[in-house]
Amino acid sequence: MAAGIIIDDVTKIFPPNVVALKNVSLKIKPGEFFVVLGPSGSGKTTLLRIIAGLEVPTKGRVIIGNDVVVDADEGIYVEPRDRNIGMVFQNWALYPHMTAYDNIAFPLRIKKLPKDEIDKRVREVAEALEISDLLDRKPAHMSGGQQQRVAVARALVKQPNVLLLDEPFSNLDARIRITAREFVRELQKNLGITTILVTHDQADAFAVGDRIMILKSGIAQQIGPPEELYGKPANVFIASFIGDPPMNLFKLKIDHPLIDTLNVKGYITKHDNIVYVGIRPDEAIASTSLENAHFVGKVILVEYVGSRRYAKVNILSEISMRVLAEENIRDGDEVRIYVKKLHLFNSNGKRIHTINP
Amino acid sequence: MGAKRKLLKGYRGGLLGSPLKWLIANIIAWTIGVLWILPFIGIFMTSIRPFSEVVSGWWSVSPFTPTLKNYVDALFNPMFSLLRGFMNSFIIAVPSTIIPVMLAALAAYAFARFSFPIKNYLFVTMLFLMAAPQQMTIIPIFFMLNNMRLLNTYLGLILIHSSWGIPWITFFLRNYFSMLPKELEEIARVDGATNRQIFFKIVLPISLPGIISASVLQFAWVWNDFFFALMLIFDPNKMVITQMLPRLKGQYQIDWGLLSSGSVLAMIVPLIVYIIFNKYYMGGFRGWAMKK
Repeated sequence: MAAGIIIDDVTKIFPPNVVALKNVSLKIKPGEFFVVLGPSGSGKTTLLRIIAGLEVPTKGRVIIGNDVVVDADEGIYVEPRDRNIGMVFQNWALYPHMTAYDNIAFPLRIKKLPKDEIDKRVREVAEALEISDLLDRKPAHMSGGQQQRVAVARALVKQPNVLLLDEPFSNLDARIRITAREFVRELQKNLGITTILVTHDQADAFAVGDRIMILKSGIAQQIGPPEELYGKPANVFIASFIGDPPMNLFKLKIDHPLIDTLNVKGYITKHDNIVYVGIRPDEAIASTSLENAHFVGKVILVEYVGSRRYAKVNILSEISMRVLAEENIRDGDEVRIYVKKLHLFNSNGKRIHTINP
Repeated sequence: MGAKRKLLKGYRGGLLGSPLKWLIANIIAWTIGVLWILPFIGIFMTSIRPFSEVVSGWWSVSPFTPTLKNYVDALFNPMFSLLRGFMNSFIIAVPSTIIPVMLAALAAYAFARFSFPIKNYLFVTMLFLMAAPQQMTIIPIFFMLNNMRLLNTYLGLILIHSSWGIPWITFFLRNYFSMLPKELEEIARVDGATNRQIFFKIVLPISLPGIISASVLQFAWVWNDFFFALMLIFDPNKMVITQMLPRLKGQYQIDWGLLSSGSVLAMIVPLIVYIIFNKYYMGGFRGWAMKK
C-alpha cells in the first residue's frame, strides 16, 4: 500500500556547524511522484537519507504512513530495514560479486522468504522492468541503463510503501535518459507507489514530477506542480534556476525607462527602489515587423536549437536579452520585441506579480 | 651510429625521455638484478653437486656432476629430517595464517565502520606496540607459555604467531575496508541486512583481494620465521624447517651441498606462494587502490 510521508520541521546540522537542512516541512500524498530539486549542496540527498534512515535529523520528525520513523526530540528512530522502503543510489550500488538475480533476491533472502516465493517475485519484477534475460549476469557485464533497472528491481521486490531515488538519471547518457525517465514515470503510475526523486536537473524533475520542491542551501524555496514553478516562481532564484534557456533577469532601479515601457509601475510598492524584472525567452518575441512592440533593439547573436530560434538582442544599449526570433531574423538586424509575460520581484527577490503587459 | 638511431626511434619520448637515460637505467637495473640473483644461483648450483666438487670452491665449474643426493640427504636426514621440518612448518604456518586473518578482519571492520569510545586510542596503541621487536618480547612470552604448559608445543607457537599477526593484519584490513564504497553497505542496510550479514555476505566477498594479500604475507612471514621457533620449540620432531637448517652444520666440517639443498627446500614454499599469488603479494605491499 502506498503511504504518505510527512516531513515535519526537519533541521540537520553536521558538526561542527554545517547546516544541511533548515526547518523543512512538507507533506507528500500517497502515490505521489514527488521531486526534490536543487543545486549541489542544497541538502536534497541529506533529506532523502533522513527519510531512508541513513541519517538522523537534528530536529524535527518524519512520518511514513501512520508511523513516526524518526523524532529527534522524542528520541525515536526506526531502522531503515523496518521502514519498508526501497532505495536506489546514484551509482546503483549493485553487489558486484552477485548476479542480477541474486542482487534482486537479496532483500527477500534476508527476510527468509521461502525459495519458490523468492523466485516468483524476482521473476515478476524482472519481467515488469524488462530485464528477465539479464538475470544471470553480473553487474560488470551490464550497461548503465540495465544496471539501473536491476537496482530499481531490487528496490521494488520487497513491495515497499515508498520508493526513494537519488539522482537516478545522472549516470545515464542523454539518449537513454529520456527513455529511462518515461520508463520510471510509467512504472510509478502503474504501481502507484509513493516515490521521492532527488535531482539537480530541472528537466528530469519536470519530466516526472507531480509536485516539485526546490531546495537551496537547505531551505525550501517553493513547493508545487511544475506549471506553478515555471509560471509563478516564488523568487528570483527559482525563476533563474527553472527554464531552459534561463530567464532574462534584470535588476533595475524604479526610475529605469524599462519600467515605464513595460507599464509595471503600478505593482511596485513605495518602499522598494530596486526591482527585478524577469522575462522568459519563450515569452517574448522579436520580429522585424510588429505592431505593439515594447521596445526596439539590435540583434547580436542568433541561436538555432532545432525547433526554435533565439536571438540575443541589445536594447537600451546596456541591456541584452534573449528572446524568440522569427524566421527571417539575422545577426545585426534591427528588431522590435513584444513581451507576452513578465515576472516582477521586489528587492528581496520575492515575487510580486506575474504580468501580461 | 646505426644502433643509436634504432634506440632513438624506439624511445623518443619514452618513460625516461632520452635514450641515453634509458640505457643507463637498464644497465643499473640489470647489474642490480644480476648481483641479487647471484647468491641464489650459487646456492642452487652448490645444492646439486656432490660434496667432493664443492670442497674445491663454490665457483669451480669443472668437474660438474649434477646430483640430487644432497636433497635426499637433507630430506631424510636421520637427526633433522627436512621432510619432517617441511610438515611442521606447514602445521604451524597454516593455522597461524587463518586464525589471525579471521580475527583481524572482524576487528578491522569494527575500526573501519563503527564508532565506539576510545576507538582511536585503541588503534594507535595497537600500532605503537607493533614496533616492539621479537627479541624484546621473547622473555615474557617464554615464561607465559611455560606457565600455560605450552612450551615446545605446536599450539603454543601457533598462538604466538597468531597474536603477532593480528595487529598488522588489523591495520592492513582496516585500511582496505575503509576504501570500500560505503553505498554497498548502506543499501544492504536498507535491504534489511544486519551488521553481521553485511559483513559476511557483502563486505568479505568483495574484500577477497585484500584478505588474500594479508594471508599471503602472513604465511610467508610465519614460514620464514626463525626466532620464535628457535626459542619455543626444542623437540627435533617438532622443529620447523628454518630452525633445522643451521643444525645441518656438521661439528667438524660444513657440508655446503647439504646446507644449500636445505636452503633451497626451505625457500621453495614461499617462492611458489609468491608466484601463484603474485598479484596479491604486490597488492599487499603497495596497497590496494579501489576502483568503483
